[in-house]
Amino acid sequence: MAAPSGLIAHGLFEDLQARTDEDTAIRDGLRDIIQTWEKQNRSITYVLSRGHGTPIAKLSELLKSAEEPLGKAVETVGKLAEVASKAPYYKFNGMWSRQMQDLVFQILFWGWLGGYENGGGEVKSGRLMNIEEVGEYLKVPVNLKDEDKFHLAIEEYLHALISLVEELARLARNSVTMGEYERPVLINQFVKDVLAGFQILNLKNDSLRRRSDSLKYKVKDVEDIIYDLSLRDLLPKKE
Amino acid sequence: MSEYKQEQPISPYMAMFEEFRKELDEHHDRRERIVKASRDITAASKKIIFTLQRVRKLGVPLPPYVNKSNEEYWKTIETRFREIAPDVQNVNAYRYPQLTWGNQEFMEALSFQHYLETQTLISYEQAKSRVAALCGDGPTVPLTIEDYVLGIYDMIGELMRFSITAMALNGNLPAGEPRKAPAGEDSPMINGEETAAAPEEPRNVLTDMRHIEQELEFFHPGPGTPFEKDVNGKAKVMHQCIGKVELANYSLTVRGKERPKGWRPDLAERPKEEDTRAEVETF
Repeated sequence: MAAPSGLIAHGLFEDLQARTDEDTAIRDGLRDIIQTWEKQNRSITYVLSRGHGTPIAKLSELLKSAEEPLGKAVETVGKLAEVASKAPYYKFNGMWSRQMQDLVFQILFWGWLGGYENGGGEVKSGRLMNIEEVGEYLKVPVNLKDEDKFHLAIEEYLHALISLVEELARLARNSVTMGEYERPVLINQFVKDVLAGFQILNLKNDSLRRRSDSLKYKVKDVEDIIYDLSLRDLLPKKE
Repeated sequence: MSEYKQEQPISPYMAMFEEFRKELDEHHDRRERIVKASRDITAASKKIIFTLQRVRKLGVPLPPYVNKSNEEYWKTIETRFREIAPDVQNVNAYRYPQLTWGNQEFMEALSFQHYLETQTLISYEQAKSRVAALCGDGPTVPLTIEDYVLGIYDMIGELMRFSITAMALNGNLPAGEPRKAPAGEDSPMINGEETAAAPEEPRNVLTDMRHIEQELEFFHPGPGTPFEKDVNGKAKVMHQCIGKVELANYSLTVRGKERPKGWRPDLAERPKEEDTRAEVETF
């Protein structure tokens, strides 16, 4: 297929093909890692979802048992970061952003329940791990502004935080079922504080905006629970 | 009033969210600038292409009036590129997919002009250095392989319009100036067959379009990527464009001599393709 003299420079498309194939190879490598990661995320969900039926006294044990699957996922993130750093961060970031949001949510949930500072005994719930702490836990940098490297992005953290609020609204209900009336009060304050934070963000019309819009309904769900408890005089008395 | 405020304790996460707000605002501002610039670059490129469609000759420098009327549009592109170049550096290089709209249209204009002037396909490297030149001494806007390839696909559509207009007005398919055979290079292709390297017949637009198509058909974007989807869609359009030129050329060969000069090949005679006529008549 000899091109007519001069129309197309020799090797023009071969060169483009070679570069495109390099990207394809990176993408294939990433896809394998992400698949493993997805399974590991599911194992974490499997353990932590038992939090909805575990009384606080037994929570410490549950949180300990979540550490192993969490550790595995963190290991996978390390592998991914290594492969991903061969390309500009935002070139392939869309491939794993979802899994990242998922994992960060699980870490936040685990951390909120008391897993992050779990010294055995009765756990202390209600602590929000900030983005730096999550980054440290994942062993990746957070919110890089100049350096083009693998990192945890603000948007991913915020998505995870919205998931946490949704999960806690559910937990508030289930806590009542378990006869734990203090936890809904804790959750009520927490989700309000988070909502207040989201309200100062100028979000554009994207998925983060749509999800954050639903936060107020979750806050209301928890308020309704508090209302029900107060009506029946079930709220713990303030000392 | 102040008492009322104290009743609502400030969220302990406010400082964190304030930091997030700052970052997100910067991000949205960057995105807005890029979207706007991308639109301006698209509009300017379209205007450049429109002027270029008034050119009738191939492989020679553009007539002065074309350069003159396009000057302001190239200037717009230059200004916009320089404005957004700092926004798409380092970690932000691939962050704003909106950049590709303008880049593709720019590639279409650039490659079309390059083809008219030189009757050659601009290379990816040439296109990148052109963007770098427009950006001046400052940072450079990245031009991706996707931008380049998709722009070339669209350029074929411009070659179709260019050919059909030329055929309608001049009664022949545009071809380059006769040139001396280059020493020892590939032999030219005529009617798909290689000829002896004797005095070189000038290439015409249609054979060039076919060759670019051939090359593009061998190019495979990554499987399952949006790029692949775009390429598949554009490949279909490109094939139709070549078909339209072939049909016009056929009409010209079969009946052209019976018709007065200035007669437009009636493409609507071909059934199935209802849209053909409208598209051609816009020029």
